Amino acid sequence: MSVLTVNLKHLYQRRGLWLVYVIVVLFALAGIAVLFKGPEVGKGRFVGLIVLAFVVGLLFAVLPIEVLSKPFSYCLPGHRKMVRKFVFCVGIVFNIFGSLLFFVYPSLNAGQLILVICSAFFAGLISYLIGGALAFTARNSVAFIGFLPLIIVAGGFFDLHTVLERVIVENPLVIIPVGILSSCVVWVWLGDEGRARRYCNVPWAGFDAWNPAKMKKISRIRMAGKWDKLKKYTSPRVERFFLGRMNRYDYVSAGRYIWGALYAASVVLVLQWKGILSFVIILILMSSFLGYMGAGAIFVFFFMPAIIVMNMRLPVHSSMMISGGRRERFAGTITAVAVATVVISVLVAVMTALSMLLEIVIPEITFRGVNFIYHAISVKHLFIPLLITPFAFVVRLIFYRKPIYVISLLMFVIYLMTVTGIVWYKHLGAMINLISIIALLVLGWGTFLLVLRYVCMKRSLAGDG
Amino acid sequence: MNNKEPIVQMRKVRKSFGKIKALDDINLQIYPGRIIGLLGANGAGKSTLLRNIIGLYLQDEGECITFGSDAKKLGPKELAQIGYVHQEGELLDWMTVRQLISYVSAYYQSWNRELEEKYIEDFEISTKVLVGSLSPGQRQRVAILLAIGFEPELLILDEPAAALDPLARAQFLDLLLRIIQTENRTIIISSHILSDVEKVIDHAVIMKEGRILLDSSFDELRERFSQIRISALSKELPEELPFENVVHCKRSDGQAILTVKDCPREIIQEQAKSLDCWVEIETLPLEEIYKIVVS
Repeated sequence: MSVLTVNLKHLYQRRGLWLVYVIVVLFALAGIAVLFKGPEVGKGRFVGLIVLAFVVGLLFAVLPIEVLSKPFSYCLPGHRKMVRKFVFCVGIVFNIFGSLLFFVYPSLNAGQLILVICSAFFAGLISYLIGGALAFTARNSVAFIGFLPLIIVAGGFFDLHTVLERVIVENPLVIIPVGILSSCVVWVWLGDEGRARRYCNVPWAGFDAWNPAKMKKISRIRMAGKWDKLKKYTSPRVERFFLGRMNRYDYVSAGRYIWGALYAASVVLVLQWKGILSFVIILILMSSFLGYMGAGAIFVFFFMPAIIVMNMRLPVHSSMMISGGRRERFAGTITAVAVATVVISVLVAVMTALSMLLEIVIPEITFRGVNFIYHAISVKHLFIPLLITPFAFVVRLIFYRKPIYVISLLMFVIYLMTVTGIVWYKHLGAMINLISIIALLVLGWGTFLLVLRYVCMKRSLAGDG
Repeated sequence: MNNKEPIVQMRKVRKSFGKIKALDDINLQIYPGRIIGLLGANGAGKSTLLRNIIGLYLQDEGECITFGSDAKKLGPKELAQIGYVHQEGELLDWMTVRQLISYVSAYYQSWNRELEEKYIEDFEISTKVLVGSLSPGQRQRVAILLAIGFEPELLILDEPAAALDPLARAQFLDLLLRIIQTENRTIIISSHILSDVEKVIDHAVIMKEGRILLDSSFDELRERFSQIRISALSKELPEELPFENVVHCKRSDGQAILTVKDCPREIIQEQAKSLDCWVEIETLPLEEIYKIVVS
């Protein structure tokens, strides 16, 4: 079995990729469906898979990087040169399929068709190689996928898809040489022997972002390298405040554990005030942008609590021994959750108030014939974070060892609720009144309390490992 | 608590993780003042047993009593008597070492500042750095300091020396010996580095696949297992050697090394007299005893 074959086996051996396949196949099917619905010329319907090639390049280049980052692979024969073979092998196969869609391109003779298919193949390969090159140059390349919907929407808005289709069909003799030339450049660039040395034993998360032990190890290695930057986050004033509160209570009193739990759970946020400030500024910018989305703006109300809950340290599961028992962990967690809920509520209230102020000053925009009117976030939606927060905590408590489940489930529910909120906005509006809101809040927080009590009293409370 | 009463009692404890039996019918009593070595391969159930004692895990069946309380109901009063160092070294990464010590010490009335300073010096712990930036060995030193700084009555050490370098391990063992010599403290130390444990323990519990195979005082254990070295003086060794309860025998070129179990030394010496050989009776190292027990 060749070195390349062994590495290609990762394509089905890595479970993390199965989710990627589902997403890629869904997008590919959507691209093909659009095409067969109406293979019209000049509408940009043929270029879906060429754009998707960028994502495929970005994701699949992570696999050889992961192999390079394993210390033993440096000494394995043939592995230093494997990278470019792997990247090109996947890219060529994917883009052959992508370019074959141009077979149904109307009004082309046989000669033109061959040229256009070749042109589409190289355009796809260029797109794929740009994605791959990005994976090799940026540390958290997978994060770029988060911006992809924005790029697609913006591209669609400026008709870039039609431009791309026209370039592929009308200029094959330019695209093909450019494609060959860029492939040669990337082939030489990826063959650099020094690359294997640079990646050897480098902490690299890759598709293991849901593996808490690996992520913790990576975070520790990075933290060790950034000591000078991090030490400013530790503040004696904050420490004095919390320890002072703890010391007001007796050693066996719940008050000491509640303040201790608050210290451990929230101080990381307090100390990183610069990061929090940036987060708030981003939220404000988001709220000014979201105002143009109308009902879609409530998305942020779903999203923000989930992010805060995900990043909180709950005192429930911990192997770091302090003298608090199960009851103290329960009391400490309730307090930490209560404080987090207050913080979330304040943040959404500030955003809502800001959006109301912005509504007065932000003008109506007309762009390419479309009118964009700024709407303030409605006060009526302020209960949504209070509903999402207990749900997010419940998911976090149940799947505390499986962050990927927490993220997936939260994203799915948020997506579902956002879509429901947008599609049935008027119907839901009629159903939502004070009684239904109170009933939902009681149900949500009651469930959270029951689950927390069950976990604290009946389940394993060991932390990592 | 009466000194003759066990501080930990486990009766018919069972604990499973899915289909895996982590603890299977565990009966164990731990008396104050003992230094217990909990020995076993990875996955034998050592960590699960220790976590059950402090109530981090709850048993599926049976009973676990620690300091007179059901382990799942342990509160600040009981837990303030237990120090625990675990193999993962989970600590609050974003605090400095000094901040972490202040934070943990705030929970313990009996925290000993002098002892803290002494261990900081002995272990060469840098207190100004972030916990997250420490190497695994340095983290473990901090974890050990946090577990012993309040002078707990029961000290539970789950693979404490695994991440330490040889020098730090020797320092740690010295420290353990000092604690043992100066205080009448109970220590449970789980480890697979048997040569280290051998120096400090006075009681051994050997586990395999969730079960306790052996629970015995170390002296008794060393008496139960002996190694006999026999060298022929003039002619070949006889085909059959006159020793009973031989569990292992290795012969070569007029020499034989025998391992015997449950055979007192006096009897061995008596039996050796019938041989025209040079016979030496030795105590078996813990590692060899462990191999015999688990096999």
